[in-house]
Amino acid sequence: MRWVGALLVVVLLAGCAGGAPAAGDFRPVVGGELTVATATVPLPGFWEEPGGFEYGLARALADRFHLRLRVVRVPFERIVSGDLGGADLALSQVTATADRERVLDFSQPYLAAAPAGLARAAIPDLAAARDTRWAVKRGTTLAAVLAGFVRPSTPPALTVDEPAALTLLDAGSVDAVLLDLPVALVVADRSGGSLRVAVQVDSDDSLAVALPNGSANREAVDSAVRALTDDGTIDRLTKRWLGAGARDVPVIGRDR
Amino acid sequence: MNAPHGPAWEFLLLFVVVIGGPLLLERARVPGIIGLLLGGYAIGPNGFGWISHANDTLPDLGQLGLLYLMFVAGVELDLALLREYRRSALSFGLLTFAAPMVAGTAVGFALGWSGPAAFLLGSLLASHTLIVYPLIRKGGLGGDAAVATAVGATVLTDTLALIVLAVVSGTTGSDASTWEVILRLVAGFAVLGGFCFYTLPRAARWCFRRLGGERTVRYLVAVAGFLAAAVLAEVFGIEGIVGAFFAGLALNRLVPNEGRLMDRIDFFGAAVFIPVFLVSVGLILDPRVIAEPRTLGLAALFIVACLGGKMLAAWLAHLLLGFSRAQAGVMFALTAPQAAATLASTTIGYQIGLYGTSVVNAVLVLILVSLIVSPIAGRRFMRGVPRPSAADRPLGSRVVVAVSTVDPPPEVFRLAARIAAPDGGVVHPVLLRRESDPAHDAAAVSALEAAANAHGVDGAAAVVVDRSLPAGVAHAAAAHLATLVIVDGPLWSDGAGVAPPAPVLEFRGAGCALLHAPASPDLAGEISRRAAAPVDA
Repeated sequence: MRWVGALLVVVLLAGCAGGAPAAGDFRPVVGGELTVATATVPLPGFWEEPGGFEYGLARALADRFHLRLRVVRVPFERIVSGDLGGADLALSQVTATADRERVLDFSQPYLAAAPAGLARAAIPDLAAARDTRWAVKRGTTLAAVLAGFVRPSTPPALTVDEPAALTLLDAGSVDAVLLDLPVALVVADRSGGSLRVAVQVDSDDSLAVALPNGSANREAVDSAVRALTDDGTIDRLTKRWLGAGARDVPVIGRDR
Repeated sequence: MNAPHGPAWEFLLLFVVVIGGPLLLERARVPGIIGLLLGGYAIGPNGFGWISHANDTLPDLGQLGLLYLMFVAGVELDLALLREYRRSALSFGLLTFAAPMVAGTAVGFALGWSGPAAFLLGSLLASHTLIVYPLIRKGGLGGDAAVATAVGATVLTDTLALIVLAVVSGTTGSDASTWEVILRLVAGFAVLGGFCFYTLPRAARWCFRRLGGERTVRYLVAVAGFLAAAVLAEVFGIEGIVGAFFAGLALNRLVPNEGRLMDRIDFFGAAVFIPVFLVSVGLILDPRVIAEPRTLGLAALFIVACLGGKMLAAWLAHLLLGFSRAQAGVMFALTAPQAAATLASTTIGYQIGLYGTSVVNAVLVLILVSLIVSPIAGRRFMRGVPRPSAADRPLGSRVVVAVSTVDPPPEVFRLAARIAAPDGGVVHPVLLRRESDPAHDAAAVSALEAAANAHGVDGAAAVVVDRSLPAGVAHAAAAHLATLVIVDGPLWSDGAGVAPPAPVLEFRGAGCALLHAPASPDLAGEISRRAAAPVDA
């Protein structure tokens, strides 16, 4: 009888533990589909037509969860305010910050992304950075770095997205654009030598998958990001779409 | 004023946790390891957030700590006990591996997990860490057959568990076909085995002989050895911890448990590397996840599968191997604790995305329960096991080389090292002085130590001053709890009027020795065999 009792306890415990996969259960908003929100398409290196680093990451996540991939465009301000437009997750160069963690859940980081200045001329130090006319996408941590640390003498131009900021740079309305380092590297690489990554700000900022606050899918997405890091998928995507890392780019310190 | 940040701040937090965590918890009679895990949680992203998700320093150091932990697990296993009790150790090793392995795998499949996740769960429950061994040894049961069997079985369980880990991690996330993976793993284990069990001991022995006097170098050679094995393993897609563990087993004989090198390995491991690993695991700890019904359910299942399996194996050892109930209880207490290999496998499962935070936190609950239950069981069952006599200590476990000059012939140290090696024993050089002799200086001791080190001897040199040289021999033997004393020349005679607590072997030049001991042809034969030279009794 004691064995029967023990067996019943085990069955009860198994029921309590549920039948979820060891790496966490992923339940999509729409059955059979992984809906991914992003703000800017195309964005050099990240969302190309077709391909890109974050597109490839979205595709790999969909494959891991055995789902079809659907991409929806949601403005960046809405994403970082916690509204993913009904998507399961957002892949939109979102940096995890304490403020954003109040309205969003984040996976572990998938890419280091220090703020970097893209310009035609050198920006050797902070003093030169302060004398530079900047453009930056509004509502981002980059805009906060510009306002809080660089503090340029001319107020920066706040744009709706990265392409708009790059248009201002092309037109000569600004001297530099502050971007995430991987984006800046890709744009510089494709500029035919006319643009360069002139400066980067010392930072441990990194990009992570954003999920709705309290999402039950966080564990599964977190495990997926670790698996894709471990099996080399993220490394391959980085090499394919973002190229080599920053070399010989001056770094300016940042009070944290 | 800047908020504290940077490496200095992170290391400060780390060392505060390493110092304070175990101290606080041990006051509440909770194992110190739990204090480190909780401390990691407190400073980590789920606690006060002082160490963020994006921080690489602590996790990287934790990785080094994990390799170190597995190296120590291999190097401190008592292979002499495994050899002496190989039959019962092999049988019990298979039992105590198979029962939780089957139970854990069944739990995994019952929960609907993938094959690799289920098998890895079985293997991590099947391993164990000898955390209760010091308690049992302190209770005088170090030489008991059941204890020796359980200790010997650990070599088998941990090796098998790590092989399962290697296969699981090698096949997970790989695009290669199953055959390619199997071929790569077989080739990897062959190369790793060759490196660890052939090249590494020879290279280390060469370094110890050439650079023997350099204490720091001896330590660094051991560290470089396990790192090389870890790198080699990773080249073949095998987890680095498997290489580190194998390197520990390979260097086991060269690093006697009571020697100074082991002392140094233990010191740095206990002070820095292993606590850092445990703190880095604590970064994943999340009480909100632990409190979830799913995590608690998983933890309960793991506890039933693991402790139930270990208990079943001990009970089968009582029925099939002839151990008493109390001995079986002690075997359960020794094999129940889950720490090193369990944490290592779980961490790898987490890193490769096979396990989520629920599983990791459930395993941490299992570790906590096993660390609380096993010492209680150990104390309870130890009372029923008779203490073996002290005379049962292996011949080579503590060899004292007594000399009267600082430049004795090298053969005397080689002889001592050969006798100590099969038991993983330690050799202590002792310089004998009569009270009437001129005072010795520190340089004499250093010279003796350097001479001994150059021949692979790892013990600390000492000076014994007594009224006569034979009295000094007896004194040195008693002070070092010697199992054998080797004297260089006629420093001892049976008519000296003092009785040493161990047999005395008189070295009389190359290939010749005289044993002073109660008539025991077995002992003389054993010494002859180990020394590869005739010994007169």
